Amino acid sequence: MAEPLISTANIGHKFGPYEVITTASQAVAYAAAVGDEKSPDYGDHLAPMTVVAAVLANLVEDLGLYELRLQTVHVGQEAGWDRKINVGETIRADARLAASSFRRGNHFATISVDYSDYEGTQVGTSSTTIIVSGQDSE
Amino acid sequence: MNNRAVGDSLRGFVREITQSRVDAYAEASGDHNPIHVDEAFASTTQFGTRIAHGMLSLAFVTEMLVNEFPNTWHSGGKLKVRFSAPVVPGETVTTYGEITSIDDTGKKPTAICKVGCKKLDGVDAILGRATVPLE
Repeated sequence: MAEPLISTANIGHKFGPYEVITTASQAVAYAAAVGDEKSPDYGDHLAPMTVVAAVLANLVEDLGLYELRLQTVHVGQEAGWDRKINVGETIRADARLAASSFRRGNHFATISVDYSDYEGTQVGTSSTTIIVSGQDSE
Repeated sequence: MNNRAVGDSLRGFVREITQSRVDAYAEASGDHNPIHVDEAFASTTQFGTRIAHGMLSLAFVTEMLVNEFPNTWHSGGKLKVRFSAPVVPGETVTTYGEITSIDDTGKKPTAICKVGCKKLDGVDAILGRATVPLE
């Protein structure tokens, strides 16, 4: 069985780019999953973490985390926004492995993501740190 | 001109994390990590049972920031958090925050806030910092 990419990627490895388009129905489903009747009405823009969540789903697949049922825990998250992101807007996400280290059988990995619009203007950034258990350095 | 001051509390809220909410989040986000949705798998992990997505609890924290800073959070807001304890479906969490300092050195003043999400037993599920431009 092939090694998952999380085990073989070196620092600087690029993931994506991912093209994320959140439809109105997806935006409503996300807002309903995380909110309640007192939650803000985001109108024609997205709840703040919607795009980050969508890109994480892509990353998880590319990294092969769940395909091999690796025990993965999300331990840290950073995010920042330069402007609102609209429902239906195409967002490009460029990701890279920013840090990778092994300690006591655990693999600590940080993936940084830059988000940009169709004009190439940056709209936000994020950084995700995960621990994958049971991985030793080569 | 803003009327924010160091020591101001952010208006947090309480939300129950149910397995149905976790399942709905998995569907909506596309994150189907079995540690969140597959009890048989989750029982073999260090947690012994399913846990909620950290991003779900973090969405509550960002919702608090949207409520508190509706005109500026989306345009210049930043946060950095650590997921410090798992949340198990059935638990209730409370978001909280406080302005710890205000940076007046830039074009616009920026509030630096301690933010988090605490479980009923007082344990922080999320702990971190947000910076938000002020109007």
